Amino acid sequence: MTQRSRIGIKLFVVAAATTIFAGCASVPLRTEASTSGIRTAEEAGAANVPQAALHLQLAREEQETAKNWAARGEKEKAQSMLMRAESDAELAVALSHQDAERSEALAAVERVRQLRKDNQ
Amino acid sequence: MKTSHYVSLVACAALFAGCATVAPNELVDARAAYQVASQGPAQQLVPADLHKAHEALNLAEQSFLKEPDSYKTKDLAYVAQRKAEQAAALGSTAASRASKEGANADFTQKQSEIVLQGKRDLSDSERRTAEARAEIDKQAAIKAARDQAEADSQVQQAQSQRQQAEIEQGKQNLRDSENRAAAKQAELEKLAAVKAANDKADADSQRQQADLQRQQADLQKQQADILQGKQDLKASEQRTADAVASLASLASLKEEERGLVLTLSGSVLFQSAKTTLMPPAQLKLDQVATALLAIPARNLIVEGYTDSRGADAYNQDLSQHRADAVRDYLIRKGYPANRIQAQGKGKGSPVAKNDSAEGRANNRRVEIVIERESKP
Repeated sequence: MTQRSRIGIKLFVVAAATTIFAGCASVPLRTEASTSGIRTAEEAGAANVPQAALHLQLAREEQETAKNWAARGEKEKAQSMLMRAESDAELAVALSHQDAERSEALAAVERVRQLRKDNQ
Repeated sequence: MKTSHYVSLVACAALFAGCATVAPNELVDARAAYQVASQGPAQQLVPADLHKAHEALNLAEQSFLKEPDSYKTKDLAYVAQRKAEQAAALGSTAASRASKEGANADFTQKQSEIVLQGKRDLSDSERRTAEARAEIDKQAAIKAARDQAEADSQVQQAQSQRQQAEIEQGKQNLRDSENRAAAKQAELEKLAAVKAANDKADADSQRQQADLQRQQADLQKQQADILQGKQDLKASEQRTADAVASLASLASLKEEERGLVLTLSGSVLFQSAKTTLMPPAQLKLDQVATALLAIPARNLIVEGYTDSRGADAYNQDLSQHRADAVRDYLIRKGYPANRIQAQGKGKGSPVAKNDSAEGRANNRRVEIVIERESKP
């Protein structure tokens, strides 16, 4: 099972839990999914990839906004804002992986090119 | 198929666009993002993720239809945009992975080709190396043969030189041997000379020894002779004493400077004016001779004297003849002739006066002078 699949499962579980408890107004804001997504992005090295770092920062801000709204009693807006945070965190993870994979691909291609050059 | 479905949704949205509000920016961006993602590698590589993006966009579109300007529609459009971008990123990632895998495959294949080529090259190289080695071995064999030939030549040359050196050495040895032989010969000669010298020395020594022995023998003989001489002398002295005593009994005997002088009267020996001995004189001379012969090695001088009568020449001649007669008689009796001299003295050296007959008778005499030392 790849890391991306594990992340997907975690997000699914968090989303399902959020959906189950969304109808209950008295249920507090559940930020586990966004928090997990942000932590996953951080672990994937998003801070070192400019585009990923941007979306990671957006995710953090959106989660903070959601918390503020939740604190003001705007539960639905907060819940909707958490979806933004989760999607930015997922995108930050995907961009981090894309950057790493692109670098590895370029390195592999360069290695092949160098090999061909060395053995011409 | 998804694209056509999306196009239909966009068309529907466009139909309602004229009678509805303008779509929010989030939805516009979501649509564009999905458009980009659906035209990229995501459709082929990550269709599931692209499908999720499509569903998110559908939710946003449906919310836009219900609540065009609500925060919910904007948030759903925002999420749809992020899903589309995520699908595009995942597609790009998959493409990169495929590219990487392809590159790795190429790398592996290239490596394999290189290894194979390397093996072929190695094989060729080994073959060429083997050929080169064979050629080198061949050249080495040729060189070895040449070197061997040169070495043989050098060996032969060295052997020749060694033989030459041995010949030279033999010559040198011969010269040395000759020199040694010469030295030996010289040494032998020297030794022979030394030996000869030693032999000579030995001979000399033996001769000296013999001489010494002979001298000793001579000495002993001389000693014996001396002893004998002493004895003889003693005997001679005895005989001399006896002879002197005998002579003293026969005639007058005087001890003078010139020796013993035996005086015989002329009247006893000769008749007057005669030179022939009378028989009594011969008897007396026999006794005198016997006494003189007992005294060896004495020189005798027989002197004849006359008296003063008559001519001197006559007396001289008479005295000489009478001395000769006595001398001859003594020689006949065995006295050595060479030890007897006869001298005529004439009337010289008278022992008495000639004026009387007795005196003249005494002057007519014969004196036998017996010298003290015998002279050979």
